[in-house]
Amino acid sequence: MLYYVFTLVFFCFDYFILAMGLNIQYGETGILNFAYIGFVAIGAYFTGVFSLHPAGHSGQHYILGLGLPFPINLLLGGLATMVFALIVALITLRRLRTDYLAIVLISLSLVLYDFCNNFVSLFNGADGLYNVPEPFAKSLGLTVNSFIPFFACVTAAVSLLMWFVMSRITRAPLGRTFRAIRDDEVVAAALGKNVFGMRLKSMLVGSFYAGIGGGLLMQFGGSFNPTAWLPGETFVVFAVLIVGGAGNNIGMFVGALLVETLLIHLPAFLPEIPGHPGLIEYFDNAVVGIVLMLMLWFRPEGVVPARLRRTASFGVSARGDAEPDLTIAVAAHE
Amino acid sequence: MSESGVLERTDATGRKAALRCEGVTKAFQGVHAVNGATFDVPEGQITALIGPNGAGKTTVVNILSGAMNCDSGRELIGETDVTNWPSYKIARLGLFRTFQLSRELHGLTVLENLLVAPADQAGESLVNVLVRPGLIRRQEREHAERALQVLDTYGLYEHRDTRARELSGGQKKLLEIARAVMASPKILLLDEPMAGVNPALIELIGGHIVDLKQSGVTVLMVEHNLNVVEQICDYVIVLAEGRTLATGRLSELRENTDVVKAYLGEVIDAGAAH
Repeated sequence: MLYYVFTLVFFCFDYFILAMGLNIQYGETGILNFAYIGFVAIGAYFTGVFSLHPAGHSGQHYILGLGLPFPINLLLGGLATMVFALIVALITLRRLRTDYLAIVLISLSLVLYDFCNNFVSLFNGADGLYNVPEPFAKSLGLTVNSFIPFFACVTAAVSLLMWFVMSRITRAPLGRTFRAIRDDEVVAAALGKNVFGMRLKSMLVGSFYAGIGGGLLMQFGGSFNPTAWLPGETFVVFAVLIVGGAGNNIGMFVGALLVETLLIHLPAFLPEIPGHPGLIEYFDNAVVGIVLMLMLWFRPEGVVPARLRRTASFGVSARGDAEPDLTIAVAAHE
Repeated sequence: MSESGVLERTDATGRKAALRCEGVTKAFQGVHAVNGATFDVPEGQITALIGPNGAGKTTVVNILSGAMNCDSGRELIGETDVTNWPSYKIARLGLFRTFQLSRELHGLTVLENLLVAPADQAGESLVNVLVRPGLIRRQEREHAERALQVLDTYGLYEHRDTRARELSGGQKKLLEIARAVMASPKILLLDEPMAGVNPALIELIGGHIVDLKQSGVTVLMVEHNLNVVEQICDYVIVLAEGRTLATGRLSELRENTDVVKAYLGEVIDAGAAH
């Protein structure tokens, strides 16, 4: 029972991290990154190959194999994802906007998927990486059962740290400029903001979160293969973001809890319907799709909508004696 | 009054040019929207850019602000050639603009719209966000205090915490000007600031534009309301078919048969018809 609960806890916090990364790109800056799951995979694979020892006669084929300990491998996995994002961003972000950018990115996701699947010497092809060492398992003497709660707690701690950092970014002028670009990039540029530079920053930060989230997935399961990152998986993260409330970091946690934990993973632990093995799991994606449509129709701002930053939050107090300007009041009712 | 030479026009105002447009052209699929526009915008003055619909006024503003590249010609801010520079670099030289159709940052509050504007914000650096939160807080407080003063001046103080998309059309016009003012402009391009605005608000906006001039800002405004042009503009540039038809004071231009024929006549006729 404890195993099940902590597995759900892990996925909730891991998708919290993934959703925060997508939120800064899409919810805050308006970059429609349909290749997001590809960045997650890059993070997972690199965390794996940084952790594994050289392939040798293990039966697997992969690059690097540096045998680095956790969390150094995880951080380097995040950084490797940023490097990949930098290359992608330099090619796509300067000239492409909105739907054109989305088309190119989803194509990139498909190319990356086929490339990793077929170029076996990179990340072991369709078999993916496995037998990745479990962090601290040897030093703390963790068993298979005790590792799950332990690593779920590690993931929760990492996600809270990353939430703290992300909150700083989104509350700072940097976050405000991201939102200005999301609302109208022509206006932002006319106000002296380097739109490409800012979108690049957002892309890199979001990709780091994708890489860390992917790396934690790799470390939790000890394996990662192409079935874990089918290009359609990007839309699960989008569902987390939309259900939770784009533009709100707390909303990302709520979205991760509702979509990833309750709708995607919890059904796997429910008792089978007699005579219909696996039926419940098959309904997962359909239910997510229905929830997504209902949210977009009835509550597009999400369960926890983006909050307005009011005057007091800037450390200044509003004067109490302000009289409404009648001229403007007239104009307001035109 | 002048019909061609750049120097002659600056002599006419007795001031040097803050902004210079030299032989600028722009075509859209073979149609010449701007076809050799040449004029100076004198420093510290309010200059009106007038002309019939389709004369290329907004295209010129887009080119001058860097929102659009020209096909040929030159743009100079002071002595700096900024031809086809991106908007953000032009803005960093002190040239800011408003838009014909108001473009508020709709998801941000009115106060936040102004807080986006200041240049060199420490909090736009990722490193500062992570390691210098105190500096950012201090700067934010300073900017917020100034922004509240600007909002007070522009009659938007009571709406400071309202989402910008919820403002009325006239308020959005004021917000755009206030936002540009918050950026501490040297040159301000206003694209039809009085369009769709009630008479009381026209007077208010006109007063603010004159205040900006008195604080040393150079203003170039596209405007169809000739009463406003007459009352607040020092200098007028007439565009027709993408070319500079004439420049000078409005009273002088009323005597120019080409100008009357191309633009003023239409306006006068339209006024008479009503």
